[in-house]
Amino acid sequence: MERQPDKNEISSYIIQSQEEEIKRIALELHEGVGQTLYSLYTGMQFIGNAVEQDEMKGYVSDMAELLEKTIQEIRLLAVELHPPTLTTLGLLPAMKSYLKLYTSTYGIEVELETSGKEVPLEERQRITLFRVCQEALANIARYADTVKAEMTFTWQFDHLSIIIKDKGRGFDKDKGWHQSTGLAAMRERMHLIGGEWHLSTKIGEGTVVELYLPFI
Amino acid sequence: MNQSFEIAHMCESILSKIATDFVGLALQNREGPDVRWHYAAGNSNDKYKKITVRYGKGIAGKVISTGSPITVNNFPDNIYGKALEYPIMLAEKLLYAYAVPIFYKGAPKGVLLVGRRTNKPINEGEQNIVRQAALSLEGMISGLF
Repeated sequence: MERQPDKNEISSYIIQSQEEEIKRIALELHEGVGQTLYSLYTGMQFIGNAVEQDEMKGYVSDMAELLEKTIQEIRLLAVELHPPTLTTLGLLPAMKSYLKLYTSTYGIEVELETSGKEVPLEERQRITLFRVCQEALANIARYADTVKAEMTFTWQFDHLSIIIKDKGRGFDKDKGWHQSTGLAAMRERMHLIGGEWHLSTKIGEGTVVELYLPFI
Repeated sequence: MNQSFEIAHMCESILSKIATDFVGLALQNREGPDVRWHYAAGNSNDKYKKITVRYGKGIAGKVISTGSPITVNNFPDNIYGKALEYPIMLAEKLLYAYAVPIFYKGAPKGVLLVGRRTNKPINEGEQNIVRQAALSLEGMISGLF
């Protein structure tokens, strides 16, 4: 009798398919829609230069400006969906770039510390670690009520550990576990790449999320 | 009295007039479409100074892109999109907000937002005060562009 896939394999397949689809949409937005709009934008500029009526010139210029804003939106959306640096430069540069966006979006400063030499990871591992860090940081923005957070990357010869810490509000772990699927999803994602996820939190003292990925 | 001081004074004055918890003024950048919070009264921290929202995003970005007021009730319930797309509500722990556009040369370029940390909406008369204040601010923000 054929072996049926187990729960972990199915979860892994669903997450991977979702990530592949996100990446495909991001690429399509950036390379497809974005490029087409850019062609329209340059065409609109050409028309703007050729038109002599002032009223029409102004109208074409407004349309070109709107197109420019849309192109920028599409590019940013594509980067948000799947940062290209995650594939080209690796986890740490992608995270540094995300932290800049995070601070300018939520007003929370994140102090990043790294030690050891970055080890190239598989794409699946990079995406998972990036998404779990994003989720932990999103939780800080939503619930921690703090202006600062800390993130530490420690690269060892046999493992990578990432610690995300805030000195914010903290929460009741049992309650949080039942109210949010985000915590369980972070743990599940880490398990699927052979890693570990730990959370410690105390009301009034803050929260620490620890990620551990062994290099097998 | 310089413009900056006048605007800050106006924000403080709205805060006391309509017993709200937070008043903020966001403006579109001189260059590019992004929107930043420039002034606040009743703020519980300085996060607003670092927050930049894109045109069309967040409450400020949406008010500027549509040129229409936006009301948020009982945040984050029944919102359009995700709670994370409302950074000023999260930063200031607001449950209620009413935001109106500020026009410059006929185009929406700024936002005046009043918010409460309880889900108690402001009434029609108070909304009118906010709209009037936004009209007064139209003359004051000219120096900022």
